[in-house]
Amino acid sequence: MSTRFAAAYGAVALLAAVLAGPVHAHEGHDHGAAPPPVSKTIAPRGEALSDAFELVAIPRDGTLALFLDRFRTNEPVPGATIEVETPDGPKVATATTDGGYALPAPWLSKPGRHELVATVTAGDAVDVLTVAVTVPDPKAVAAPAKPAPAQAALARVSEVAHGVRERLTAKDPTLVAAVAVAFLLGMLVTALARGRRGAPAVALVAIGITIILGTAAFAHGDEDHGAPVQGAALIEPRQGGPATSDLAQRLPDGSVFVPKPTQRLLVLRTTMTEQGSFHRSVELPGRIIPDPNASGVVQSSVGGRLSPPPSGLFPRLGTKVRKGDVLATVTPPVQAIDVSDMRQRQGELDQQIAIVERRVERFRRLATTGAVAQTQLDDAVAELNGLHDRRAALDKIRQQSETLVSPVDGVVAQATAVAGQMAAPGAMVFQIVAPNRLWVEALSFDALTAAQDATARLADGRTLKLAYQGTGLADRNQAIPVQFAVQGDASGLRVGQFVTVLAGTDTEQSGLALPRSAVVRTGNGQDVVYEHTTAERFEARPVRVEPLDGGRVLVAEGIGPGKRVVTQGAELLDQVR
Amino acid sequence: MILPRVTLVAGLLAATTAYAHETSGQHGGRVTDAGKFHVELVAKGETVDVFLSDEGQKPVPAAGFKGTAILVVGGKPARVPLAPADGNRLTGKAATALGASPKGAVQLTGPDGATASGKFN
Repeated sequence: MSTRFAAAYGAVALLAAVLAGPVHAHEGHDHGAAPPPVSKTIAPRGEALSDAFELVAIPRDGTLALFLDRFRTNEPVPGATIEVETPDGPKVATATTDGGYALPAPWLSKPGRHELVATVTAGDAVDVLTVAVTVPDPKAVAAPAKPAPAQAALARVSEVAHGVRERLTAKDPTLVAAVAVAFLLGMLVTALARGRRGAPAVALVAIGITIILGTAAFAHGDEDHGAPVQGAALIEPRQGGPATSDLAQRLPDGSVFVPKPTQRLLVLRTTMTEQGSFHRSVELPGRIIPDPNASGVVQSSVGGRLSPPPSGLFPRLGTKVRKGDVLATVTPPVQAIDVSDMRQRQGELDQQIAIVERRVERFRRLATTGAVAQTQLDDAVAELNGLHDRRAALDKIRQQSETLVSPVDGVVAQATAVAGQMAAPGAMVFQIVAPNRLWVEALSFDALTAAQDATARLADGRTLKLAYQGTGLADRNQAIPVQFAVQGDASGLRVGQFVTVLAGTDTEQSGLALPRSAVVRTGNGQDVVYEHTTAERFEARPVRVEPLDGGRVLVAEGIGPGKRVVTQGAELLDQVR
Repeated sequence: MILPRVTLVAGLLAATTAYAHETSGQHGGRVTDAGKFHVELVAKGETVDVFLSDEGQKPVPAAGFKGTAILVVGGKPARVPLAPADGNRLTGKAATALGASPKGAVQLTGPDGATASGKFN
């Protein structure tokens, strides 16, 4: 038994000796090293905050780049004077084309921590800011610091252990051979030392076992030992000083790092959250309708042939018309039977006119002599006039057409008129809408008592202010129609367009009002807002939002007051990976 | 490269704590952190006195230090060079009278060339 133990010890000792060399030769990368941090691409930088400004200082290639923004809104501050205290006295930074400021700073090339004082004058705002920047030691970057002796020994042990593990998993033939030879030698040495008689037999058995084990192990030794796969995480990033440009990136802790130049490209703007009390609002589906008192339809009362108005042209879509303008004429057709009837009547009338005319002439002559009473002459004249009127009316009725006039001022919203077209009685020929007088009809599922502060949101994000007009009582699709008048500019709206109406109710609610654009829905369906935590860092905060009005939402939970929240560009920020 | 980030974060933390840290000192001025030191700013008339002490509020000899105080007076920045005086005191004279507690900052350059700055609100 002890023979085998001793042989095993020998095997381990020899194995260590054999492996120590190859492991040493197996260079290339450090196994103990952690994967390089993602932020290797971010140059060292310092930042300072005050209640008016936010300053970021980046030392790079002997120049100090400065970026100045408003603290609350994150707007860049152009045209400011930034005076930095240098070892050579105060120096003023010059504005650069990318909206920042630059200052030649050869004194910053010395590695270590530099605490700077910058005096910022922008308009009538003056602020003194302290910024600490740390210039990395280029030597420290190029060659990692030498570990302490104890650490080195530990590293060596771990390397050896790692080597053994690797070889075991790879079924390395060298390893198998080393174990086998060591075992064999150990057995022989032990047997000889004890001077037993059976030593040759033991040696024979040991050799036999070793060979069998060895071949068995070699049978597995046909794996491909080609080039080891190098993980992407092990690829060294490029060396040599800080990167020349920083990249927006999502840091391992989930926050988003966006350098100032990128913030300007994305036009990121923030606002300070404030707690407030707001009326709770309900969302209703709605549709744009024309104001019933400022719109109208033009219909023909008789069936007939459409012809253009005296101007010669039908008003087209979008034409401005005034109340009373003639838009078209309708000429009713005369049927063949009516024509013959009329001609017969005409003949009769002409005949009667001729008779009565002669009678009137005769009476006129006789009336002077007194043979005919004056009354008889008057009757005959009246009869003649009546006959003339009837004849004239008969002539006129053949040409008379109906003129279609605009009932209101507005623009032509719908036109179906084509010259020569036969219009059916009651058919709509034109629809006139006053474009600046539009209403919204929404369907409410519960009776809105006091629909104050109503707004409508369009699909493109535009909002309209609405004034409550009235609620119907008749049920329509299980809901009650509620009408609102659009206030202010209503250009660009069309009748029939769908809108979302947000109507305020009496119940009050407290929370933070934020623009709708501040809330982003992430991939997992959660609503988040981005908090501007430090000058170049943004953190997503999951929030619970409730509708407030067309342009704003109410953040009920998830973020407190006094925080800077991105209101513009949050969608873009969410895309940073 | 973790180091710059660590220092950045540390700097930020220091900056935020500096806001909260401002207290009144032994000489009746305001105390704030500047690097590894505590500085107390006493502005009286046109004279600016800065007292230097370490984390344990033990005075640090001012000899060898240089300093600049930039204080906002009446909406205009006033730059006051500071020179070491007796004990842990650096002193300088401003061109105009300073208010009761002007806001601004103090930058100190140590004998080893290291800079430290503290902000007073």
